[in-house]
Amino acid sequence: MNIVAVTACPTGIAHTYMAAEQLEKTARRLGHQIKVETQGAMGIENELHASEIDAADVAILAADIAIENSERFAKVRKIEVSVQEALKNPEGVLQRAAVA
Amino acid sequence: MTGGRWSIPLRQPHTLRKVKEALRKHKQYLLTGVSYVIPFIACGGILIAVAITYAFQFELVDAQGRPDFTQAPPLIQALARVGEKAFQLFPPVLAGFIAHAMAGRPGLVPGFVGGLIAGVPQAVGEKSANAGFLGALVIGLVAGHVVNGIKKMPVPKLLRPVMPIIIIPILSTVPVGLVMLGINLPIAKIMIGLGDFLEGMQGGSQVVLAMILGAMIAFDMGGPVNKAAFFFGAAMIQQGNIEVMGACAAAICTPPLGLGLATRLSRRRWSAEQREAGLAALGMGLVGITEGAIPFAAGDPFRVIPSIMIGSMVAASIAMLGGVGDHAPHGGPIVLPVVDNRWMYLAAILAGSVVTALCINTMKQLTERPAEKPGENQT
Repeated sequence: MNIVAVTACPTGIAHTYMAAEQLEKTARRLGHQIKVETQGAMGIENELHASEIDAADVAILAADIAIENSERFAKVRKIEVSVQEALKNPEGVLQRAAVA
Repeated sequence: MTGGRWSIPLRQPHTLRKVKEALRKHKQYLLTGVSYVIPFIACGGILIAVAITYAFQFELVDAQGRPDFTQAPPLIQALARVGEKAFQLFPPVLAGFIAHAMAGRPGLVPGFVGGLIAGVPQAVGEKSANAGFLGALVIGLVAGHVVNGIKKMPVPKLLRPVMPIIIIPILSTVPVGLVMLGINLPIAKIMIGLGDFLEGMQGGSQVVLAMILGAMIAFDMGGPVNKAAFFFGAAMIQQGNIEVMGACAAAICTPPLGLGLATRLSRRRWSAEQREAGLAALGMGLVGITEGAIPFAAGDPFRVIPSIMIGSMVAASIAMLGGVGDHAPHGGPIVLPVVDNRWMYLAAILAGSVVTALCINTMKQLTERPAEKPGENQT
């Protein structure tokens, strides 16, 4: 699968980045392509471009807060999960993304 | 979109699921506002604390014992002013970004304006008060709903371009502003009423008074209830009764100190992020900023707020029994130079913080769903 993801937590200093790392590691291990945008206290980093979102099979929005520029994902197949879930059970999240 | 809770069985009654989903969303909106306001609290709080420390160190205080920056060097005056401005942005930024999370860009104007109004002191007789943190939370949600409501109205194509820049801002900000102006004074009056009630208590048991003040100070962490108790303590200083402020001063710092301590005492019950927030809370507690507890309370109010209330009640009672007096209308270990009975003051703070930490950790232990524990320990 070709996956795009966004992670965002309230304080934006630790969980945002830990969840991003978990998703990246797990997706690579399972042979998926993935790019993860983080929306932490520093703002948007590793920003997803419109072309990347359009080309993706599925988007994973792992956020405990409202994410910025969410309208970008209006047209793509997507699942919404909490940051905790992406952190603890990245396999489960990816499985759900596959059948979403 | 059923959101993140895929463990929730889909067979739940439809309305219950809807309510749960709405609650989850509203929590997300509040947390979004909090995520934007945390740096403002930290910046303003710390700058003000630096200036206050300087003022107390060099005994720059006015007749009421409040820090008086007019005699301070220009840099200290400037730090106090800059910090104060950052702090004043707290209600507007909180309300603005709650509304932004709900309604997108059109939410910003009514949210910011409503929040700004919530920060305006309301004169009631000779006293004054503002709606602060709680007012901003409420008005941010109101603003978001109002804007979302307006967005749903059918609009002729001709008018569509002017909707976001003229019509929505005006149509939303006017009712939101009116609502905030309307609830500002009642909230202020409630606070003043509480103050009068406390004054009436004075003849009664001082310890009961201390417990009530402690509970109020912790209840909304720098909001109107907290400020009502605080202003009462400050007013008592002017009347020559410094023990009331002594009890308040001990209660003011135990919520952030206790929660910070809790993250140190039982590391595995807290996420890596909460442990970092705990360090920041310890810092804010030392300089007497109750707001340091807000990041914890916002995400978990039903366990955190009772814990910090109990801790602050303990701290205030011990301070009152120990005859602690505080000459300055500010709390926390930072005012130690202007406190009478310093050892009792420190003992009160320590006891309150330990009680807070034990309460929250025990409550987490008893109520934590096992599923939330693993994974957090990985880092």
